[in-house]
Amino acid sequence: MATLSLENVSYVYGQRTPFEIKALDNVSLSVREGTVTGIIGHTGSGKSTLVQLLNGLEKPTSGKVMLDGVDIWEKPREIGKIRFRVGLVMQYPEYQLFEETIRADIAFGPRNMGLSKEEIDHRVSEAAGFVGLDPLLLDKSPFDLSGGQKRRAAIAGVMAMRPEVLVLDEPAAGLDPRGRDTILKGVRTYGRETGSTVIIVSHSMEDMATYCDDIIVMAKGRVCLSGTRDEVFANAKTLTEVGLGVPQITQLALLLEERGVALPGGIYTVEAAVAALKPLFQ
Amino acid sequence: MEEILIHTKDLCYSYEENDHKSPVLRGVSLDIRKGEYVAILGHNGSGKSTFAKLLNGILEPASGELTVAGIDLAAPELSDEDIFQLRRQVGMVFQNPDNQLVATIVEDDVAFGPENLGVPPAEIRSRVDEALATVGMSEYARHEPHRLSGGQKQRVAIAGLIAMRPSCMIFDESTAMLDPSGRREVIETFEKLNREQGITVLTITHYMNEAARADRVIVIDDGRVLADGTPHEIFADPGRLIVAGLDVPQCTSLIHALRGEGIALAGEPISPEECADLICRALEEKKNGNALA
Repeated sequence: MATLSLENVSYVYGQRTPFEIKALDNVSLSVREGTVTGIIGHTGSGKSTLVQLLNGLEKPTSGKVMLDGVDIWEKPREIGKIRFRVGLVMQYPEYQLFEETIRADIAFGPRNMGLSKEEIDHRVSEAAGFVGLDPLLLDKSPFDLSGGQKRRAAIAGVMAMRPEVLVLDEPAAGLDPRGRDTILKGVRTYGRETGSTVIIVSHSMEDMATYCDDIIVMAKGRVCLSGTRDEVFANAKTLTEVGLGVPQITQLALLLEERGVALPGGIYTVEAAVAALKPLFQ
Repeated sequence: MEEILIHTKDLCYSYEENDHKSPVLRGVSLDIRKGEYVAILGHNGSGKSTFAKLLNGILEPASGELTVAGIDLAAPELSDEDIFQLRRQVGMVFQNPDNQLVATIVEDDVAFGPENLGVPPAEIRSRVDEALATVGMSEYARHEPHRLSGGQKQRVAIAGLIAMRPSCMIFDESTAMLDPSGRREVIETFEKLNREQGITVLTITHYMNEAARADRVIVIDDGRVLADGTPHEIFADPGRLIVAGLDVPQCTSLIHALRGEGIALAGEPISPEECADLICRALEEKKNGNALA
């Protein structure tokens, strides 16, 4: 288990050139240990830069990224070790499979960690289990799998390193509803069973509402809202103003309130709406 | 009866790999009329993208009938000229905004299509200006495409199609990689083209809320048409969609869940507004009922 936090982090692309862009502007935040935290924001809001800072792929222009209270750049030569502790799944990770079999691909990370063969085998089947990948697929070539299966294999490859913090950049983009649910449930299970912290970047307010404990909303390189799911979705107006909107079911709850139907706050899942509306009909 | 733009009957297609054929479309029969706004749903691998690629001649049918804009695409001797005519009529916008812009300046990219059609330069100029105005990107005419947002890039890609004056546009998950406002930009753009210019729009999507906005929804499952009707008809049966790996809008789920709790609610709302109307009406009736009792 590990706690991750950012202290006054700024990141500037193309510093001292005519194309200088401040992608992150004095961002401070902390992610609660063992939770699923969602990061949401527009294209260009700085969220992809943010996730690349979390495992040391990029170094902040100023400020600190802290893992368990220690600056990850304290010993720059050991930054590689940070990447075993903070696992990053990039967008469309299925394009990064390169081994001859799915099994070998998932085993690549743990093998680089110098684990024993038994431990690697164990990690591979455990990770495949988290993402619901059929064991029969493990000895197939990545070319024989569907896009959704490849995506799951790529995520399992990072899970197999059992990172204390698992960061995923839009893990469900382009998948159908069933594929999306399988992956997001798998990620949540990984967090629960290993006690790891999970960070998910997403564009879907519905997915955030269903799978995240905490939410961080980014806008123009800064943190615009952050807190528990309830706290963030209570700011429906701010979310709409920054162009993100709220889940459809929350829109409905707001419409009903306007029309004088009294409902408890914090309705952002279908289950919550059913629970709130049922008593009104009894 | 309006003119039929797309006609298919028993349309089949198989991908060949390692000498064995894996069928993707197993007999699709449907007609799409000019000016329709159609959403196509289906899980990954259901055959919906293959269907779209057949419609503008990227793939050729294995068997069955396929006629698009009066061109018989199942004809054994299809000429390059036919394909050329087809692509002028049926334009396609793909998923990845970074893969479909070819020029280094926005207006050059929009001009690429009409140039290839041999449109006279003066007319290209006016078509490009008009197309960029239609998608709301005029002020970016001289910008570099790679500095645009995803939604803006997709709108430039749409402008590139408009400049070719097509009668039909196909959007193959064109909103999948965009953020919520980018998605809204693209949807509003093609809805406007459909409404104001009568362009037939086919949108392939995984977002149920997007499909709910169309006039007609076609569900493809296992290479066949599983359901075909208005959004209200399609979403009235959540079970069928869930079996097909899909979903229904949250408001529809809510109404079905409340019914499951024994609450009588008549109607199949798919938007928050319709759903709010239905719930308010039902609460009102209940109040009146209690008062009478």
